[in-house]
Amino acid sequence: MKKSRLFIGIAFMVLFTSLVMYNFSSSIGTYVDFEQAEDREGYRSYVIGTWEAEMPHGFSMESKTFNFHMKDEQGNVRRVVFNNAKPANFEDADQLVVKGTMQNGVFYSDDMLVKCPSKYNDSQPVELTSAES
Amino acid sequence: MIGIIGKNLILLAFISSILAIVFYYLDAKQQKPLFEKLANGFFALKGVLMLVASGLLVHLIFTHQFQYYYVFNYTSLDLQSQYLAAAFYSGQEGSFMLWIVFSFFVGLGLMKWTSPVYRSPMLFFFSITQFFLLSMLLGVDVFGTTYGASPFRTLMEQMPQLPVWSVNPDFIPADGSGLNDLLRSPWIVIHPPVIFLGFAMMTIPYAFALAALWKRAYQNWIYPALPWALGANLCLLIAIFLGGYWAYETLSFGGYWAWDPVENASLVPWIVGMAGIHTMLVQRRSSSSKKASLIFAILAYVLVVYQTFLTRSGVLGEASVHSFVDLGLYNQLLVFMLTMIGMGVVLFVLRFKEMKDMHREDPVLSKEFMMFLGALILFLSGLVIILGTSSPIIGRLFVEFPTPPEMSFYNNWSIPFAILISIFSVVTQYLWWKKVNSAETLAEQLLYPTLVTAIVAIATIMIGEVRNPVYMLYILGVWFGVIGNGWVMVQILRKKPRMTGGTLTHVGFTIMLLGFMGAAFDRPMLDEDTVNYNQAVSRGEVLDKDGFPVIQPINMVKLKIDEPKFIDNRYWVTFMGGEVTEKNRPGESEYTVKFEDTKRNGRTFFLTPVMYPMVANSSGGSMNWTVDPEIKVGAFHDLYAYVAGSSIVERLTNNQNDNASEISTTTVDGEIQTRVIRVKRAGFLELDDYKVTFQDFEFMQESEYPENATIAVRAILNFETSSSPDSSITIKPEFAIIREGEENITWAPPVNLGETGIVVQFTNVNPQSEEIELRISGFKSVNEPEWVLLTVEKKPFVSVVWLGTFLLMIGFSVSIFRRWNDQVRRERNEKNRVKPDDENIAYE
Repeated sequence: MKKSRLFIGIAFMVLFTSLVMYNFSSSIGTYVDFEQAEDREGYRSYVIGTWEAEMPHGFSMESKTFNFHMKDEQGNVRRVVFNNAKPANFEDADQLVVKGTMQNGVFYSDDMLVKCPSKYNDSQPVELTSAES
Repeated sequence: MIGIIGKNLILLAFISSILAIVFYYLDAKQQKPLFEKLANGFFALKGVLMLVASGLLVHLIFTHQFQYYYVFNYTSLDLQSQYLAAAFYSGQEGSFMLWIVFSFFVGLGLMKWTSPVYRSPMLFFFSITQFFLLSMLLGVDVFGTTYGASPFRTLMEQMPQLPVWSVNPDFIPADGSGLNDLLRSPWIVIHPPVIFLGFAMMTIPYAFALAALWKRAYQNWIYPALPWALGANLCLLIAIFLGGYWAYETLSFGGYWAWDPVENASLVPWIVGMAGIHTMLVQRRSSSSKKASLIFAILAYVLVVYQTFLTRSGVLGEASVHSFVDLGLYNQLLVFMLTMIGMGVVLFVLRFKEMKDMHREDPVLSKEFMMFLGALILFLSGLVIILGTSSPIIGRLFVEFPTPPEMSFYNNWSIPFAILISIFSVVTQYLWWKKVNSAETLAEQLLYPTLVTAIVAIATIMIGEVRNPVYMLYILGVWFGVIGNGWVMVQILRKKPRMTGGTLTHVGFTIMLLGFMGAAFDRPMLDEDTVNYNQAVSRGEVLDKDGFPVIQPINMVKLKIDEPKFIDNRYWVTFMGGEVTEKNRPGESEYTVKFEDTKRNGRTFFLTPVMYPMVANSSGGSMNWTVDPEIKVGAFHDLYAYVAGSSIVERLTNNQNDNASEISTTTVDGEIQTRVIRVKRAGFLELDDYKVTFQDFEFMQESEYPENATIAVRAILNFETSSSPDSSITIKPEFAIIREGEENITWAPPVNLGETGIVVQFTNVNPQSEEIELRISGFKSVNEPEWVLLTVEKKPFVSVVWLGTFLLMIGFSVSIFRRWNDQVRRERNEKNRVKPDDENIAYE
């Protein structure tokens, strides 16, 4: 009785672990740059980059999308179409992570992480207003 | 000066925590009253020192001493006092302090209430956790390595490379960098303290479990540990609820749960803590599951430390919306975590052999075995979530730069777990409370609940038009949980109302699970045109101007003022108007949208979502618009509305430069009546066809003063039109403050702008910034009618989730009360050497 219960338990654990790990490995992706995302056309990709403030950007009333240009970590610049309003803290972000698919050289994103500058970063240029002594 | 005192207080607290550890160890070994006294003394001293240090930090914050980095970084002069108080724990250092202070109070309780067998050993382990927490706050250099980050470090210590130090070493910033606008919400005052109280209490089962292993007293620790474990879980539950509600209602994350690593990190200790509570209950009743109780009690706290490591060491990086700050504590946190795991593993392995003999085999259909299986399922579900959350670490097995898993990973795994937990909770409840000897009697008992479940579940599936077979199974399983547990609860309520805590938590939990189903049916509410457009997009028929297919559906509706649209085949929505109200924040605008429910005889209600600007620091003061959603709460579904854009915001964004800005616009019947602008000297602003320049101001001669005026100035304004550049008009509106008795009255006579029909009033002046405010009316140009872009989402069953959560909280509270009383009675009986009667005996 006891042995069999132990055996069932172990078999179950092995099965469970392999199933979870298999499912886990297939549901995580990897961060890519725009060129790699192009090769994965149709598949969801994550791209890390920074906003190119000099390039045209804005909200398109026609397609109700927020359009901007992003430079990835390799220096590739592509247009990103985000199908929602401009997220909070967008201009402040020192890093963006866009999630979506690349098609015809345009990155269509439906989810975006906006990472704001770390408050502890030593090198940050602090705006120091002069002290009144 | 205060900073140096504060630093040394922390150092002294750290040293006394070491001494407390030493003396608790000696006392646990030799049991001498002297050692115990010394240990308790150092424990108390450490707490008092930390309380004083916390008081100093609060003092620095409230007196705005911006030479201290912590004060500079988290506060500013304009913060209201509740946010100043919250600033104490807004940063990592302060939150460690809060955690330590809470642990201290919890430790005092332990000193008083724990039986002597466990007292010193458990306070020994408890003090070790305090030692590590304190080490995070030291900020001491040893051989070139800095240990910990002191909340009392100065700006100069933090940023020695700033050029200002060479010019003026005594430099103090005039203002701090303040608190992020998104965090300026009452929730920040309450949410973090509850979490840290939960963390502090979670230490108790851990310390008890280790003390039990050390002293080979495997049974009695669970009685005192149980109420604390319940308390810790209640705190974490409240904290998770507050976080979820905050995210849903204010932060516009779009929902109450997003499987974000930070959210998961507090959820998993809660789940494992639940598993531990269940095995403790088994052990309490029949002395089995001893090992499982120990393991879960250790694991729950290890997971708290693990989540601290994940969120504070910087490993999560890109994985979370929460910004993490790397304080350079990575190694210290790692050592903390490894020590906590190591102590548990070593003691467990050492004692494993003797515990083996205690093993007792329970039959499969027994409450003990079923409850154990239920706890195991809880634990496995926690394991899956922690696996997903650890993707930045574990994912490296599969890819080089792992992303977090898709949400579907969590959702898909949660479904079978939720179904199993629901079913096991019912079966175990029946085995627990009723005399069930065989599968037949169990089946007999469950007959009616099952029948009712079938009817209710089928009704739910038909009304909700559920097509997905997995969802059908989920609804069936979870309804079984609600009804089966409810059935038991009603019977217990009638006979032993004091003991309803347990079943009430089960009812609450399963109702909550039922509510989660609603999230699968969230949908944006759209008008027919947009629905058709989205269908065309999904068929690939819509092309953009370059000829490529559009792939993104639209999830918002554009509403022009007073032009109703019919959305979701049910509501007529009308944009009634928007205005700049500046109610809670500068520049805040509020929109009124009318909803007419055609399914309820045209009953109408209004939603007033809000947008407000946050000034971005990094891009030259450009505006960043943030939304504050408004929710219409309903019993079966919430309507969640936010404004994604509007004509007001567009105008304000366009009419914005470094020296001038449009403050507000008043419209009547869709036409602009009055515009209020602020301009600095030499600044200009473009308004429709006009470029308005504020050239200069001049003080009026005393002879020109109105009577009793205290200030009297005249602005020199220049209006140019693009249509005829040569014909610029200069006007000089006047402004004065007149004293009438006790009152100051503003005097601002309107001035006509030539023959244009435009009227200008000079309504205010700020002498420091040389900025004036103008009210301009009479624009002739016909504008585009006012509009908003409105996103309305229908979110079913959100109220059901809240209802379940509240029941769960009440159930926990009832249980804590009962277990606490049990423990008090048990101690009294032990003292009087009375054999305790088992009040848990099953009844018919």
